[in-house]
Amino acid sequence: MSKTTIPAGGLSSDSVTTAKIADDAVTAAKATGIGISTAAIWRVTSNFDGDAEPIASNWEEMDAPTGYGELGSNITQSSGIFTFPVTGIYSISYTIMLYNDTATGRSVQNINTTHDNSTYALAASAACFCDSGYLNSSTCHTLFDVTNVTTHKVKFDVTQVTNNSNGVLTGTDYNYTYVQFIRLGDT
Amino acid sequence: MVDMVTLRPNHIEDALAKLHSGQWFTWTDSKNKIYANLRLAEKIGVNGNLVDNTVTELPTESAVNAKLKELQDAWDAANGG
Repeated sequence: MSKTTIPAGGLSSDSVTTAKIADDAVTAAKATGIGISTAAIWRVTSNFDGDAEPIASNWEEMDAPTGYGELGSNITQSSGIFTFPVTGIYSISYTIMLYNDTATGRSVQNINTTHDNSTYALAASAACFCDSGYLNSSTCHTLFDVTNVTTHKVKFDVTQVTNNSNGVLTGTDYNYTYVQFIRLGDT
Repeated sequence: MVDMVTLRPNHIEDALAKLHSGQWFTWTDSKNKIYANLRLAEKIGVNGNLVDNTVTELPTESAVNAKLKELQDAWDAANGG
């Protein structure tokens, strides 16, 4: 029997089961906050040798090739400082491609995060050896709890530990040196 | 940009990267990396800070082309070209 009023004491624990919810009853308006809502990739577009602490210029949000995708509100960037569109737990990965044409070099890359928009802490790091005449890539990851989009930011750097001989390889139509952001859920 | 298979330099960006260290240059159109679109970066990242670019003058187009040829000649010599 259908009811038009909720009985005194509320609904029993088994009164609203999954089977009783129509498939079209859960609309997008009622499903916000469920699942991944933000995913974006930014990449560096110009090669360089040596250090960049942070990588401050020549960033672009992935815009090619045809069929590329992004999800939700955009991550923004200014002078290499990345700002998040909404609070949440973010997965951040940073991949760098190196080439070397002179001598074996060692590079270190870092993800640095701040929770006060001022002091940055090392959140993740990776090192990469590159022999002369070869390419190599490395990636580091972190999870960042963004509780305030005004104060919680991230930046990325690379330093050449030996003789500045590694070059950072980049692209404008593909991802060689890039960062990926995925919002996993609420903070 | 450098040939991904052979690593032979084949673009002026390969020469620019060897002229100075760091992110000293940028492009007005990153999809069209020609000399006319080459610019100096205003700021560079040093030790966690943004500072004025220490490179204050663009190299001439002929200097860039000469550097690219120098790199190509060196690659060819090292690889039996």
